[in-house]
Amino acid sequence: MADILAAGLMALGAVFFIAGSVGLLRFPDVYCRLHALTKADGLGLALIALGVALRADSFGEVFRILLIWFFVAVASATGGHLIAAHARRSDREAGEGEAGNV
Amino acid sequence: MPNTTSPAGAMARPGQADIDAAPPAHRRALTIRPHAARQPRPRWQRFVLAVIVLGAIWAVLTGFRLDALGFGVPAVLGGAALVFVLPGAPGWRLSPGGALAFVIWFSAQSVRGAVDVAIRAFSPDMGLRPGFRRHPLALPGGAPRVLFLNTITLLPGTLSAEVAGDEVIVHMLDERADLAADLAALEMRIAALFALQAPGGRGGEGRP
Repeated sequence: MADILAAGLMALGAVFFIAGSVGLLRFPDVYCRLHALTKADGLGLALIALGVALRADSFGEVFRILLIWFFVAVASATGGHLIAAHARRSDREAGEGEAGNV
Repeated sequence: MPNTTSPAGAMARPGQADIDAAPPAHRRALTIRPHAARQPRPRWQRFVLAVIVLGAIWAVLTGFRLDALGFGVPAVLGGAALVFVLPGAPGWRLSPGGALAFVIWFSAQSVRGAVDVAIRAFSPDMGLRPGFRRHPLALPGGAPRVLFLNTITLLPGTLSAEVAGDEVIVHMLDERADLAADLAALEMRIAALFALQAPGGRGGEGRP
């Protein structure tokens, strides 16, 4: 039973990873792509981590999975912010003088 | 998170300034004390706290193995010693009830955000109407503000793109969404998480 649930969660997580990748390819600019990567992949990882945690043997393993999820979530939100801030800076430098760019 | 100061004003679209100029009343409750950050905890106290937290993480990661302490003790002490090198962040405390409510709400919102963006990715027209909006930062600096900026990115349709002075510039997948209401709700929840508004609470100025 736990196996089926774990497999289902991981499959669903993979669907969100695919959605994030499709968004990365289809969305029009860097900012929209960051939405796809930070949100869809974040939930994809959470679902896969949950599925794996169901199959874990010890509390230590669950804790390690939780830590991985936590650090990836923080890194992805922070990284997304830094990429967007950098993109805005270079947009500004490229579009110097143009009013209301982006 | 770096506090990137940049020339403000370049991105504001005409007609949007008046939207941001009149925050709803429930948001003004927070903007009363924008920088009323607490003093950092004493360094030795932060050092002891860091040793406890890092030690607990190390113990669980290694499954309480004694032979791992040869690496663990120097690593924990070295990591904790960073509090003597890095500048102190403003002190904060958590409200257990607020934290629980926040975790539940945050989980639901991040699922909503991911489902929203996944549907857009797979749908033929994607329904995108991207644009930038400004939002004044009402929460005090340090942990509450960092959490606010990072959580914006996980809410449906919003991405914290840049911090310019005391404003965050938010990228939206659909500009027509009610950004001010969503972010005000988030601010209230983070304020509750950090016990910033508890009546009579430490550092709280009470409700208007």
